[in-house]
Amino acid sequence: MNLGESLNMAVKTLTANKLRSALTMLGIIIGNASVITMVGVGQGAQRYASEQFESLGPNVLFIIPGSEEARNRTIDLPRTLTLEDAQAIASQVPTVTGVAPQLQTQQRIVYRNRNTNALVLGTTPEFTVVRDFAVERGRFFSALDVQRANRVVALGSDLAKSLFGSQDPLGQEIRIKNISFQVIGVMEPKGAFLGNNQDDVAYIPITTMSSRITGNTSPYGTEVSFISVMARDEASINAAQFQIRNLLRLRHKVTDVDDFAVRSQKDALEIVGNVTNALTLMLAAIAGISLFVGGIGIMNIMLVSVRERTQEIGLRKAIGASQQDILVQFMIEAVILAAIGGIVGTAIGIGGVTLVSAVTPLKAGVSPTAVALAVCVSGGIGLFFGVVPARQAAKLDPIVALRSA
Amino acid sequence: MQTIIRLEHISKVYGSGNTEVWALHDVSLTVNAGEYCAIMGPSGSGKSTAMNIIGCLDRPTEGSYYLDGMDVARLGDNELAQIRNRKIGFVFQQFHLLPQLSAIENVMLPMIYAGIPHKERQERAAEALTRVGLANRLNNRPNQLSGGQQQRVAIARAIVNRPVLLLADEPTGALDSHTTQEVLDIFRELNASGITVVMVTHEPEVARQTKRIVWFRDGQVIHDHLAPTNLGQMTLVPS
Repeated sequence: MNLGESLNMAVKTLTANKLRSALTMLGIIIGNASVITMVGVGQGAQRYASEQFESLGPNVLFIIPGSEEARNRTIDLPRTLTLEDAQAIASQVPTVTGVAPQLQTQQRIVYRNRNTNALVLGTTPEFTVVRDFAVERGRFFSALDVQRANRVVALGSDLAKSLFGSQDPLGQEIRIKNISFQVIGVMEPKGAFLGNNQDDVAYIPITTMSSRITGNTSPYGTEVSFISVMARDEASINAAQFQIRNLLRLRHKVTDVDDFAVRSQKDALEIVGNVTNALTLMLAAIAGISLFVGGIGIMNIMLVSVRERTQEIGLRKAIGASQQDILVQFMIEAVILAAIGGIVGTAIGIGGVTLVSAVTPLKAGVSPTAVALAVCVSGGIGLFFGVVPARQAAKLDPIVALRSA
Repeated sequence: MQTIIRLEHISKVYGSGNTEVWALHDVSLTVNAGEYCAIMGPSGSGKSTAMNIIGCLDRPTEGSYYLDGMDVARLGDNELAQIRNRKIGFVFQQFHLLPQLSAIENVMLPMIYAGIPHKERQERAAEALTRVGLANRLNNRPNQLSGGQQQRVAIARAIVNRPVLLLADEPTGALDSHTTQEVLDIFRELNASGITVVMVTHEPEVARQTKRIVWFRDGQVIHDHLAPTNLGQMTLVPS
């Protein structure tokens, strides 16, 4: 018997029992749809995070405090990174063109009867260069403001709106932690970075920040949260990373383990990649389990079908079907169920991915690999879970099968 | 005359040791081409076992079986499947039509396994159905046919591969007396056209319409005689 005949026969049998066939496929449909959606979402998350870091520009470095071990344990980091470190980098590392130390805390900000909670970020004028962030109106604070620890503030566009509405904020006094600051500028809208809205931030001189707001200085000097550094160009990133590391080791008298880390955009992308890959893998694994359960559903129904169609199998054998003919017939039924389930599930999965990218910032994409994998896997599941029932059918004794009532 | 069935000292044993059961014990039987033969006997007599061996659904424990001159007693499952497909046509008490297929598709089934091309299958199936008087029922499903009609579809299916032997297992067991006669008439016509027919039945009035009756009891052939022309005579025979 050729394959076309077997196919034709299988389709006839499956369509004779439409509801059951559809329900059997449902398991595979759900499994497949979830694999494709989950992988799509996972990859969307990865793309989103990658774009965020790429938007920083390729020649930005981050210096973050704490040893590798301390960071992994997420314990309170020793604040060993200081403003003096930043100044040393700026003056002694030749491949660096801009250094922006950052010290930030969440604070209550008040303008007359309006108040809000926002991030207050102390930095230096280089910040606008390093982070490619411009003032829309007014001005950013100057080196002089930093030197004198002036109480001036540049507001993010959203923060300006929530405090002042349509009023002009320039020249107005606002209170941060009950200390009055003069608004000297409003930043252009920048958008979110890794989920943090950069437009809902008050930017003040870092010296003002440490002396007035955070107030604490470590024995090493004026502590900072981290330092953003801009290298001269993309080619000098590695050199800058090396030079900064050496300089800080020297300054921090490091003998064993670094108490800081210098991360490039590439490093960050790598970390993001690792995290989101793990996430994608986990989502795919969960979805894979439902695909597996769908396969068991097919096996279950095929076993019932063999039991139910014992007489048919006996008859087919009596009129000349070989064991192989019966085996192929039942295998094809299982594979058709799995394959159609796979195709429908894929279509639904593509729909799901499209929906997710429409309603969330994640640019979820349909991964051709995921589609190919899901369809192959569901076909394979049909084969795998079809074998046991089909072998059972093929091995039936025709005499027993014919006499079963 | 050509011999279709030749059973030589056939025994069939089920189980082993203490639980050993001899379903057939040294049975020899010959059926020639063109015969119309009934196998009778009480239940447990071995007639069903004999039927299964003759139909190549089972193999004897001992002895030889030549079907159409070919030794089939020791063939493997797949060879037996092929023999059943090419040389034997089966008719069962319960018809065993596939409910999801139309009459003509049911009749085409054995030819699918024989690898006959689609067009020829259709022609031959239609021809076979015409032969059993169902030319106008080709596309009906089994559940749209009466019991007698269903059995006629099954007979068409049995003869469509032009077998040397038509083997019927209680073919009238599920039918009323009127349709029983219809089916028996078809068997007689098929036999008249040269097909060898062997039929297992427990109904004397059915066996009476064949040409020869073989009686089984306790795994052995106890009587083998030409069918009498009337029922009264026949019932006296096996005692």
